[in-house]
Amino acid sequence: MALLEIHNLSKRFGGLTAVSELDLDVGQGEIFGLIGPNGAGKTTVLNMVGGTFFPTRGKIIFKDEDITRFPPYRRARRGITRVFQRDVLFRSLTVLENVLAGLYMSSSTGFTEIFFKRLSIHGQEKALYEKAVEILQFVKLDQLADEMAINLPHGNQRALCLAIALATQAQLLLLDEPLTGMNQEEIKAMMHMIRTLRDEKGITSVVVEHNMRAVVGLCDRAAVLDYGRKIAEGSPKEVVNNPAVIEAYLGKEDDAV
Amino acid sequence: MSRKLLINLVIIVVLAAVLIILPIALNNVYWTSILVIMGVNILLVSSLRTIKLVGHISLGHVGFSLIGAYGSALLVMKLGLSFWAAIFLGGLMAAVVALALAYPFLKVKGIYFALLTLLTAETFRLIVWYWPSLTGGFWGLLKIPSPNPIPIPLIGTINFANINNYYYLTAFIVSLSLFVLYRLERSHLGFKWIAIQDTEVLAQSVGINVKWHKMLNFAIACFFAGIAGALYAHYQHSLSPDATSRFGVLMSIYLVVYMVVGGESKFAGPIIGTVVLTVISEFGRALGEYQPMMIGAIAVFVMLLMPEGLIGLPNRGKLLYRKLLNQTQRMRRS
Amino acid sequence: MQAIVNGFALGWLYVLMALGLTLILSIMGILQLAHGEVYMIGAYVTYYCCVSFGVNLYASMFISMAVMAGFGLFLERFLFRPVRAQILAPIVISLGLTLILMSTAVVGFGLYERSIPRLAQGSFVFLGSAVPKDRIIAVGFAVGLLLLLYLFLKKSKYGQAMVASAQSWEGAILRGISPNMMSSMAMAIGCALAAAGGTLAGSILMLTPSMGTLPLVKGLVIIVLGGMGSFLGAAVGGVFLGLVDGIIPVAFSPGLTSLAPLVVVILILLARPQGLFGHE
Repeated sequence: MALLEIHNLSKRFGGLTAVSELDLDVGQGEIFGLIGPNGAGKTTVLNMVGGTFFPTRGKIIFKDEDITRFPPYRRARRGITRVFQRDVLFRSLTVLENVLAGLYMSSSTGFTEIFFKRLSIHGQEKALYEKAVEILQFVKLDQLADEMAINLPHGNQRALCLAIALATQAQLLLLDEPLTGMNQEEIKAMMHMIRTLRDEKGITSVVVEHNMRAVVGLCDRAAVLDYGRKIAEGSPKEVVNNPAVIEAYLGKEDDAV
Repeated sequence: MSRKLLINLVIIVVLAAVLIILPIALNNVYWTSILVIMGVNILLVSSLRTIKLVGHISLGHVGFSLIGAYGSALLVMKLGLSFWAAIFLGGLMAAVVALALAYPFLKVKGIYFALLTLLTAETFRLIVWYWPSLTGGFWGLLKIPSPNPIPIPLIGTINFANINNYYYLTAFIVSLSLFVLYRLERSHLGFKWIAIQDTEVLAQSVGINVKWHKMLNFAIACFFAGIAGALYAHYQHSLSPDATSRFGVLMSIYLVVYMVVGGESKFAGPIIGTVVLTVISEFGRALGEYQPMMIGAIAVFVMLLMPEGLIGLPNRGKLLYRKLLNQTQRMRRS
Repeated sequence: MQAIVNGFALGWLYVLMALGLTLILSIMGILQLAHGEVYMIGAYVTYYCCVSFGVNLYASMFISMAVMAGFGLFLERFLFRPVRAQILAPIVISLGLTLILMSTAVVGFGLYERSIPRLAQGSFVFLGSAVPKDRIIAVGFAVGLLLLLYLFLKKSKYGQAMVASAQSWEGAILRGISPNMMSSMAMAIGCALAAAGGTLAGSILMLTPSMGTLPLVKGLVIIVLGGMGSFLGAAVGGVFLGLVDGIIPVAFSPGLTSLAPLVVVILILLARPQGLFGHE
C-alpha cells in the first residue's frame, strides 16, 4: 500500500477553511508534486503532514500507522522530515555539526555516553563523525564542513538542509518550495539531488512548488489544489494541461491584474 | 596523549593543588568560610547556566536551593538520615518539584518563564515561612548538625564542624557536581540542548523531543541547586526564609549577575564571575550599603558594554590587538 | 470588613504597579524588575516634596509622578533601548538597576521608616465597621488614574498606537508608529503610575527602602494571572488579588495566601498558556 495516505483532511483557521476534504496517496519511491495557485493550501497540507499543526478533521497514515496527532519529533523518528521554505539551520553550529545534530537523533544518551565520552570516543562518536562526512560528500558539501552554516550561500544552505534530512534517515521528505530563489544551475543541481536521493536511497518526496517546468521534469505524479480542494491529480503532463487547472491559475492572475 | 589533553590535565592538577592548599595558606576562619559560600554559589550559578543552555532564564533558582536546604536539614534532623543520603535526597526533591513544574512552565515564552520561576521561588519561601511546625517558620530552622565525623583508620576522624574540613567537603562535592555538569554539556544530551536553544523548530524536525529535553534540563539543573542548598544548610547550621536571606529575590538577582558578568558562553564563565564578584564584594564590604549599588552598577556596565562577560575579554583583547596592529602597519606604510 | 477594605485598597495599588509593568512588558518586551524601586523612589520624592519642602501632598504626588516619568524616559533611552531586542540583557540591567536604586535609597534615605501625611483623617462607618477614609481616597485616586489611562488608551492617537504595538510590533511599524516613541511613552507612563502607587501606599503604610519588592512581586503575579500583555487582565487580576490578600489571611490561614496564587497560576497555564486574558 501507499507510504503516505491522507484521508479526508481538512483544516480550518477560525472562519477560514484552508484545506478541505483532501484525499491523497503517495507511494514509496515517488516524487510527488503538490501545486496550485497562491493560497491554495499547499503549505498547510505540508504543515499537517509534518506535524506543525493538527488537522481539524481527517487522518494521516504513514507506513500503516496513524500519525495524525503525533508531535513533529515523533514523525521525524518515524521517518518524515520536513525541509522548510526558509532555510532553517542551526545558526551557531558548523556545517558538520548541523549534520551531526541529525545523526544524534539515533544516538542514545545514556549514562555511559555522558560520563565517559572520552572513553567511547573511538566507538560511537567516531562512527557518527564518519557518517556525517559521508553524508556531506553525498551532497557535495564536504569541503565546507567546518564553515558556519549561516555563512553558506543560499544553494549550499538548501543542500545542507537535505543533508540533515538524510542524517535523520528520512524516508519521506516534505520539501517546501525547494527551488525558490535559485538560479538555473542551482535548480538543476537540486532537481538532480532529489532524484538521486530517490534512486540511490529510495527516499520518497512530496514537493510543493511553483516552478511548473521543474514539476514536470521532476515529479512522477502531481496533485493540484485550489482553495484548499484537490482539483486534479495525475502525471505532471496531464495535470498541467488540465483545463480546470489552467483556469484556476489564470483566474488568480486576473484577480491580480 | 594529545597535547590538549595534557594541558587540560596540568590545569586540573594545578587547580586541585591550589584548592587543597588554600585554606591552610589563608589560615583564616573568615576567609575560609567565604570560600565555602563561594563554592556553594559557584554550583548555583553553574547550574543556572545549564538552564540557559536550553535558552531559558530561571530567576527562581534559589527556590530549588531552598528545597534542597530544608529538605536535607529536615531529613537529618527529623528522620535521622546521614548527611550523604540527605544531601542527595534534598537534591532529588528539588529535581522532582522542578520536573513537575517544568511541564506547565515550559509552555510559555522566555520572559514569562523567567517571571514564573521568580514567583515560584517566592512562593516556596513563603510556604516555608508559613509552616512553622515543619520548618520553624520565620524563627528559622536551627541547630542543623554538621555531617557525621568520618573515622579513618590509623589517622583519626574527620570532624566536619571544623571549617577547613567542611571546606574540603564542599570543594569535593562542588567539583564533582561541576564535573557532571560539564560532561553533560559536552555530551549528546548537551548538544541536543544547544540545538534546542538554537533553532527549536529544526530540533523538533530532527526528532528531538524538545519538551522532554527541556524538562530534563530543568530538573537536572535544579537537582544541583538543591545540592548546593543542602551544602549551605549543614555549613550554616541554621536556615531562614527571610526575604533578605539567601533564598530571597535579592539572591536570585545576584546569581544572575554573577553568571552574566562572568559570561555565559563558556562553562568557566559563571565560575569566574562568581569568584571575581565575591572577592570584589568582600573587599567592598567596608563600603557597606554601597555594596549592592556597586554590584548593580557592574552588572549594568557589563551588559551594556561587554555583553559576553569577563570570559569574552581575551577575545576582545585579541581583536583590539589586531586592530592596533593593522593601524600601526598602515601608519608605517604611509 | 476592615480586612476586606484594606485588601481592596491595596489591590488597586497593586493594579497601578501591574499596569505599569504590563505596559512596559507588552510594548517594550522588557520585564522591568526595577519597577518596584521606581515605586519606592516615587514615594520618597513625594516625601521630600511634602515633608521637607512643605508642598501640598497632592501637588507633591503629581510632582513625583512627573519626576519619575522623566526618570523613566532617561532609563529607557540609555539603559533599555540599546538592548531592546535581547532577552537576557534587559533582565540583567533591570536587576542591576534594582540593586543600584535600592542601595541608593538605603544610603540616601536611611533605613528608618518614614511616613507621608495621611490623605485624610478619620474614618466612617460602613457596613458595621470603621473604614479609614484615606483608604477610600487612595482607591479613588487609583481608580481615577486608571480611568485616565483607559481613556488615553482608547481615545487618544498615541494611546491607540500603544495598544496596537502591544498586540503586534509589525502592525504598528507598518502604520508609521515609531517604536522608540512607544517605548518612551510606555516607560514614562509606567513610571508615573508606579510613583503614584508608591505615594498612595506611603501615606497608608510606611516608607522604607524595601517597600518596593512586595508590590513588584504582586504586580508580577497579577500579570501572570490576568494574562500576559493584557491591560484588562491586569486590572481585573489586581483587584482580585487585593481582595484575596485581604480576605484569605483572615478567613483561612495566612499560609494559603502565598500558595493560592501559584496554584492558580499553574492551573491557568496548564489550561491556557496565554493566561486568562492574554494574547500571545
